[in-house]
Amino acid sequence: MKRIPIQGVLLVLLLIFAFAFPRIMQGQPYWLYVALQSFFWAMMAASWALLAGYAGQFSFAHIAFMGIASYTSGILGRDLGWSPISGIILGTLMAGLVGVLVGYLCLRLRRTYLALFTIAFSEIVRLIINAEHEFTGGPMGLYMEPLLETTSYVPTYYIMLVALIVSLAIMYAIANSRLGLFLRSIREDEEAAAAMGVHVVRYKILAFVITSMIAGIAGALDHHIIGFIAPNELMIPRMSLVIAMAVIGGTESLISASLGAIFIHFAMEWLQKIPVPASWMPSLRENTATLQQFGLSLGEGYLQTNAWRMVLFGLMLMLTLRFWRNGLIQPLLEKIGRQGVAEETVAKRKFSQEENEIEGTEA
Amino acid sequence: MKLEIKNITKNFGGMQALNNVELTIDKSEIIGLIGPNGAGKTTLTNVIDGVYKPSEGEVWLNDERIDHLPPYKIARRGLGRTFQVTRAFRRMTVMENMMVPAMAINPGAKRQNVINKAQGILEFLTFEHLANEYGRGLSGGQQKLLELARLLMLDPDFVILDEPFAGVHPTLQETIYGYIDKVRQEGKAIILISHDMDSIFTLSERLVVLDFGAIIADGNPQNVKQDPVVIKAYLGEDEEEDY
Repeated sequence: MKRIPIQGVLLVLLLIFAFAFPRIMQGQPYWLYVALQSFFWAMMAASWALLAGYAGQFSFAHIAFMGIASYTSGILGRDLGWSPISGIILGTLMAGLVGVLVGYLCLRLRRTYLALFTIAFSEIVRLIINAEHEFTGGPMGLYMEPLLETTSYVPTYYIMLVALIVSLAIMYAIANSRLGLFLRSIREDEEAAAAMGVHVVRYKILAFVITSMIAGIAGALDHHIIGFIAPNELMIPRMSLVIAMAVIGGTESLISASLGAIFIHFAMEWLQKIPVPASWMPSLRENTATLQQFGLSLGEGYLQTNAWRMVLFGLMLMLTLRFWRNGLIQPLLEKIGRQGVAEETVAKRKFSQEENEIEGTEA
Repeated sequence: MKLEIKNITKNFGGMQALNNVELTIDKSEIIGLIGPNGAGKTTLTNVIDGVYKPSEGEVWLNDERIDHLPPYKIARRGLGRTFQVTRAFRRMTVMENMMVPAMAINPGAKRQNVINKAQGILEFLTFEHLANEYGRGLSGGQQKLLELARLLMLDPDFVILDEPFAGVHPTLQETIYGYIDKVRQEGKAIILISHDMDSIFTLSERLVVLDFGAIIADGNPQNVKQDPVVIKAYLGEDEEEDY
């Protein structure tokens, strides 16, 4: 049975839309900026999905690797005059190097212990950056040389889009290679994988290195675009956001995790100021005091939700974990990708049963 | 082919799981390894496989000492095993499960060749129609078959089957008998651990009995069956008198 490559068609349509987005959003630089930021989160979520969803290493250190690469690049630029490109390359390598160390130290740790270890590591990195203010700028942050000398977001949008596509392509190739197969076997059962000849130590460390480098390049690029980084960007709630994005998208698919990140980033921005029809405004104005009691405020044509968007987002995460363990996007993609597999299994079983019956009759 | 277990002792704190175990397998045969619960059968398997390092003693495979090697290196040197509790890769398809060992032992293996080999094995084990299904979707018995199929992809000289008949339907049991026969005919040595005495006595050419971590009998199954020490270990002194 010939399957229609729906996934491929959807991907092409998505790419066309992504490349046309700056043209569609002409005159709305804010949404262009939101989009390029969403690509940063998508790289973070997809690389975390490769580490946790494929290799089974539930790490909280991802945000620290992002910070290590960004700070390395920023400090090299500030103190040694390195260009952003050279800084990003060395920052990415530094993230990979620390990834080797963390991967090695985490070899015997699983699940809760791994999570606790990496939370501790992440916090140590953040606290050192915070304390070493002469070197890192401390809590006041570090100004980083802009990637491009332009006020337009269009070129930086395309840089982030290309970075996302290239990193997804690399991770996709890894996930579908021998390495991907071994990582998944390690996720399923380390002992059984080793008994099948899989070099568990090597592949676990490799998973840390590759994903740390992708988190590193995402962070260094993004912070050279923003022009600034501060230690609070390495806080655990931001790491939790990466995890939530990947979980809501689906951790067993790189595309799902990155789409989850893009969707959530846009939703969170949109939910900050929910547009309200003009006809509702008078009655809402009358109830301003009540709205304020609930932490809501009224603007010109919109309702500012402040902290409520995080509540909604938390609810969404809880519901996803409770009812859709594979995320919201991944099951859809899987349904399309595995179209006809069940029917094929049944047909093959019937065929072999019939064959056996014929053989039995002949005998 | 030669597997030598030399004076292996394994302690877990104050508990001695294996006590001076000595065993040599130097030809293609089916060795039944039996013993009461807690006798040390699985511990011995784990020591041979490299999961546990022995407290004392050595393990040699084809004249190479292997007791200091990690399990993946031992697997690559030609020793494969299944587990007492089935450990199929549940979130991977049957075909992917089969590809793991073949790709791990032969980095240059062509994907299509591996798939072709896997299909042949699946056909032999009568579940080729499940090739694209996830491990988690298989029944307990089918997961046992999948573990055995994976082992054929690893193609080891020595095969350790830990409770292959546990919780398996009689029809599948026949398939597993066929599997063991095939592996034996390929010139491999099989260590068969099972509580299913009928299967053990039907299949084994040599029987080794463990009790309290020590080998109490080793030889022809019919002779071992009559051994008073074995009867005592299995049935206890009082019951022995009754019989």
